[in-house]
Amino acid sequence: MTTGAFDSTAKLGPRARRGRRRASRALLYTFLIALLLVFALPLLWALSSSFKARGDIFGYPPKLLPSPATLDNYRGLLDENPFWSWLLISTVVAVISTVAAVLLCALAGFAFAKYRFRGKNVLFNVMFSSLAVPFAVIVVPLFVMLAKAHLTTPYFALVVPWVAPAFGIFMMRQFAEQSIPDALLDAARVDGCTEFGLFRRVVLPLLRPALGALGVWSFLNSFNSLIWPLIVVSDPGDYTLPLGIQALFGATNRQYDLVLAGSVLAAIPSLLVFFLLRKQLLEGLTAGAVKS
Amino acid sequence: MTAPPPTRAPVLESLPARTPGKAAPPRTSWWMRRQRTLAPYLFISPFYLLYGLFLLVPILVGLYLSCTEWAGLGTPKWVGLRNYQDLLADHSFWTAVGNTGLYVVFTMAVVMPAALLIAQALNARGLRGRDLFRLAYFMPVVISPIVITLVFGLFFDNEFGLLNAVGHAVFGFGGIDWLGSPGWARVTVVILVLWRWTGYLTIFFLAGLQNVPKELYEAADIDGAGPVSRFRNVTLPCLRPVTAFVAVTVLVSSVQIFEEPYLLTQGGPGESTLSVAQFIFRAGFQRQQLGYAAAAGVLLFVAVFALGQLAMRVLGVGRDDR
Repeated sequence: MTTGAFDSTAKLGPRARRGRRRASRALLYTFLIALLLVFALPLLWALSSSFKARGDIFGYPPKLLPSPATLDNYRGLLDENPFWSWLLISTVVAVISTVAAVLLCALAGFAFAKYRFRGKNVLFNVMFSSLAVPFAVIVVPLFVMLAKAHLTTPYFALVVPWVAPAFGIFMMRQFAEQSIPDALLDAARVDGCTEFGLFRRVVLPLLRPALGALGVWSFLNSFNSLIWPLIVVSDPGDYTLPLGIQALFGATNRQYDLVLAGSVLAAIPSLLVFFLLRKQLLEGLTAGAVKS
Repeated sequence: MTAPPPTRAPVLESLPARTPGKAAPPRTSWWMRRQRTLAPYLFISPFYLLYGLFLLVPILVGLYLSCTEWAGLGTPKWVGLRNYQDLLADHSFWTAVGNTGLYVVFTMAVVMPAALLIAQALNARGLRGRDLFRLAYFMPVVISPIVITLVFGLFFDNEFGLLNAVGHAVFGFGGIDWLGSPGWARVTVVILVLWRWTGYLTIFFLAGLQNVPKELYEAADIDGAGPVSRFRNVTLPCLRPVTAFVAVTVLVSSVQIFEEPYLLTQGGPGESTLSVAQFIFRAGFQRQQLGYAAAAGVLLFVAVFALGQLAMRVLGVGRDDR
């Protein structure tokens, strides 16, 4: 304990060095855990508040834990609102978008990764630069077009315009380039496989990790989206889950108790999908960034 | 009319019967030869079909609408460039531009460095629970923005919010009107942006850091480099591609920021947190000034495109040399 206390960094005994390392370790973990609390706190607080009696949500001083804990908020939400219908519509829309997006992006990504064809670079750049077109730019004309064509139904307007995201194609291309050996493709061709058969039998199975990543990304995007459904869907019978919660929060009567319960329930599917496929999602998202 | 896109490219699926024995080329029909060159075009065509219908056409329609005055009923009235003139003289528009500029600068100058710092901490050798931390930090992006902003609204509430209560109990002051005063409302939106996106960017930087070859650090150690010099001479250069990618993505997406201010403060109080994207939304869907909204959209498009090009040029991203 005597060594090293007054020394400069140059000559530290092994014990002092270990002590110093231990101190910096402790500092590191303190930082990371504090940060974890900051990120988790609002969500934990919402979870806790969703079990509070209506008066306690706004009680002063605020209680960290609900006492008494009650299920009234959940009961109120489920009894007075078509919650299951919101959930169903959101889920169906998200699942259709996801399946279509995964297939279409895999096809296009495969083509950009493994074929040589005329105009490829130009087409790729056109695709890539569409990422920079702000949603706000097309939102007004797109809505006008769909309204004129009477296509502002959830299953069309919430799905079809978004089933081939350029980001997904880019991600698939990055994956396909790394994970599909050209020799395998040629071998299958020699065996008489058609190009689409190649895609279905060889490429899709090899892309599976990337498909998972894109799938989660696409599901979450669709399931959580609010702005576009807010614009397009006008019939309360067609509300998606975020729209339903937004309606509970209506301008005049802010039903915080029900909103909190709804928020907790709405977060469950997203978190579930995320936790089940977290590894693929995080790796898939970063594949493009690191390799470009 | 729009037809739903084919989910599968219509290519022959049946395999021709294999001829055993000789290696003579199997019966190559015209189609079998053709399909090889056609396949890539068929594979990418669904995207370009959707791209045309739901991106290109809307942009053209938007350009046309931007030169009209239209409330959504009847026929649009052609007014030439008047919408643009009006926009440039519109005080609200410039407020929105200023606020958006603030959000962009903040994400570039605070959120990105914060994400890099956290990634650096997560990359420490022998760290336990790295995946847990990574997951927890990423989680805000996973949850629906409506849920997040409602919770934040309660959190930052002037009278009942947890934040003011804690501030009062611990520091003896409180009662900051987070959402109700123009300055603090901006701060609140910015805190929400920081909370929501820092963890997301962290995973990109972390992936980049984990790709830095260890030998480089060992070499730096042998040269007697301290942590600062290691960071400057090894980490930063190796992170260039990731940083470039993140910077372009962040720039392009933060110029379009919408959800955070819209849901948290509805752009208020007054117009103190109004963003350009929300300005467009308000003009188009709340005030029925569709032409005006389209004109603002065109200006936003030009700005994002110019900024994106500039960033790509400066940082050298998105080039595909194959």
